[in-house]
Amino acid sequence: MSTMARGTTAGSPASASAVPRSEAKAPLRIVASAPGAVSVAGVSHTYDVSGRVTKALDEIDLAIAPGRFVVIVGPSGCGKSSLLMMMTGLTKPTAGTIVCGGRPMTEPDPDVVGVVFQEASLYPWLTAQDNVEFPLSLRRVPKAERAARAREKLALVGLQGFEDRYPHELSGGMKQRVSIARGLVQNPSILMLDEPFAALDEQTRITMGDELLRIWAETGKTVVFVTHSLSEAAYLADEIVVMSARPGRIIDRIEVALPRPRTYEMMSTPHFAELRERIWRQIRHQVSEG
Amino acid sequence: MSLAMASSAARPALSPAAVRLLLGIAVLILWEALPRLGLVPQLFLPALSQTLAALVGSAAEYGAHLLHTLRAIGIAMLVACGLGIGLGLLIGSVAPLRRTLQPLASGLYAVPIVILYPLFTAWFGIGPQSKIVFASVYGMLPCLLGTMAGIQTIDRQYLTVARSMRASRWQVIGRVLLPAAMPTVLSAFRVGGALVIVGVVVAEMLTSSEGIGYLISRYRTLLDSPHVFAGILLVVLLVVLFGALVQQVERRTAHWRFSTRSGEAG
Ligand SMILES: Nc1ncnc2c1ncn2[C@@H]1O[C@H](COP(=O)(O)OP(=O)(O)OP(=O)(O)O)[C@@H](O)[C@H]1O
Ligand SMILES: [Mg+2]
Repeated sequence: MSTMARGTTAGSPASASAVPRSEAKAPLRIVASAPGAVSVAGVSHTYDVSGRVTKALDEIDLAIAPGRFVVIVGPSGCGKSSLLMMMTGLTKPTAGTIVCGGRPMTEPDPDVVGVVFQEASLYPWLTAQDNVEFPLSLRRVPKAERAARAREKLALVGLQGFEDRYPHELSGGMKQRVSIARGLVQNPSILMLDEPFAALDEQTRITMGDELLRIWAETGKTVVFVTHSLSEAAYLADEIVVMSARPGRIIDRIEVALPRPRTYEMMSTPHFAELRERIWRQIRHQVSEG
Repeated sequence: MSLAMASSAARPALSPAAVRLLLGIAVLILWEALPRLGLVPQLFLPALSQTLAALVGSAAEYGAHLLHTLRAIGIAMLVACGLGIGLGLLIGSVAPLRRTLQPLASGLYAVPIVILYPLFTAWFGIGPQSKIVFASVYGMLPCLLGTMAGIQTIDRQYLTVARSMRASRWQVIGRVLLPAAMPTVLSAFRVGGALVIVGVVVAEMLTSSEGIGYLISRYRTLLDSPHVFAGILLVVLLVVLFGALVQQVERRTAHWRFSTRSGEAG
């Protein structure tokens, strides 16, 4: 099922985000309006659940150039999911602005940002095909067109022949493939994923990582990917964004110098070990402080 | 005999369906045998054959009254389920409404509404209206409560996903909440629908001039047991048929609920 990672020089153009941390705020406007560009400016968020106040995010600035694969890591509860929810327009930040592909994300816009969640995100009463068609059917796209588009995306994620399966008839990895197909079906230029492979076993997880890289290379989307796994972060990313413990701030941005396509063997290179260590040092520091 | 016992013990136990069938046959045999052997007075329990004879002998009368009953059941079921499920969806998906109305509805459900039936006849007369209204109210409550409960147990993630795809409020209700709540709604409908049937028949027995319930009650005053049991048999058949129908619908629309969540390794 898994086609080998095909991408050669998957679009990672010389990027605006390679700037040092201290200057990260300044050049946002340069890329903000391009399709596929993501710009997070001065975003803070405080949850207030009937008087119980939680400061989740503190002054987040993040610019992502089109076509980049950016991975966000950080200690548990630091606000990664919250940040992603805001970048997808599902939650409004208490302060700051988020612009994706030139559009302020005040509400979800699946034409701009496709979202993939960790689990339980497919509708169990719909087949794989119908799940992928679902967003199109909400917009009343004609039946024939949406069927063709959904089939095409299912083929892209390697699921030809599984169109009529229900989610409970699919493995965990296959379900996430369907989720990815659904996230892509409206051809957004940006795909955001919140720990999409966290519930999978290690083998499936590695395969799915390769699959995502292949899809990314084939489609040239901007990808924002949240994970707990240091190896996953280093293996997938152009750039790793490290967040502090709550309230989440960006404490490091690491360019990954590993060549593409990534291979399993790279995981045993010194550079890979260095990357992992650099991330881990920061996170461990955060956790022991908190 | 002992051979049969041994062989059935060697094989896995009879399937539940087979056991149910055997039980049903046993009941029918007892129904025929007990009165015939004089173990039960014929007035209390006329033999099955006598009951069937009464049913066939007065087929035209039963048929005509059955039509009245079915019509009332049909209308009441539409009202009970339509209102019950519709209101359940609405109330269940609007938190303040749910907090206010749910205790009220469950409280009302605990009240035996039959005691209100005389009021219904006073308001709506003894024609079909009163029994339809009565059965509707009677059957609506479980539909309403079941749908509300179904909506509350829905995985919140389904709603987040719908929002990420920018579904409108109505799309969320119709395309996410309703299908997700379908299994619970159907089991609620199973209970509510059965109560509708009971409600109509009981209403007919109390105050009415038509319908199966009316026939049962009239033949009882005439001490004509075979005809009474013929009526009862019809009602039982109705309930059984309804149950089978709902089960079919469940198989078709809620199959995903009854299958395991884990798939093959992949
Ligand atoms: N809807 C909410 N209401 C109140 N508090 C919330 C809500 N969502 C998240 N929080 C709080 O905000 C903080 C950040 O949560 P968030 O889920 O974004 O973290 P995370 O980095 O994704 O964590 P994890 O790694 O465990 O997934 C946590 O302290 C959490 O308790
Ligand atoms: Mg999270």
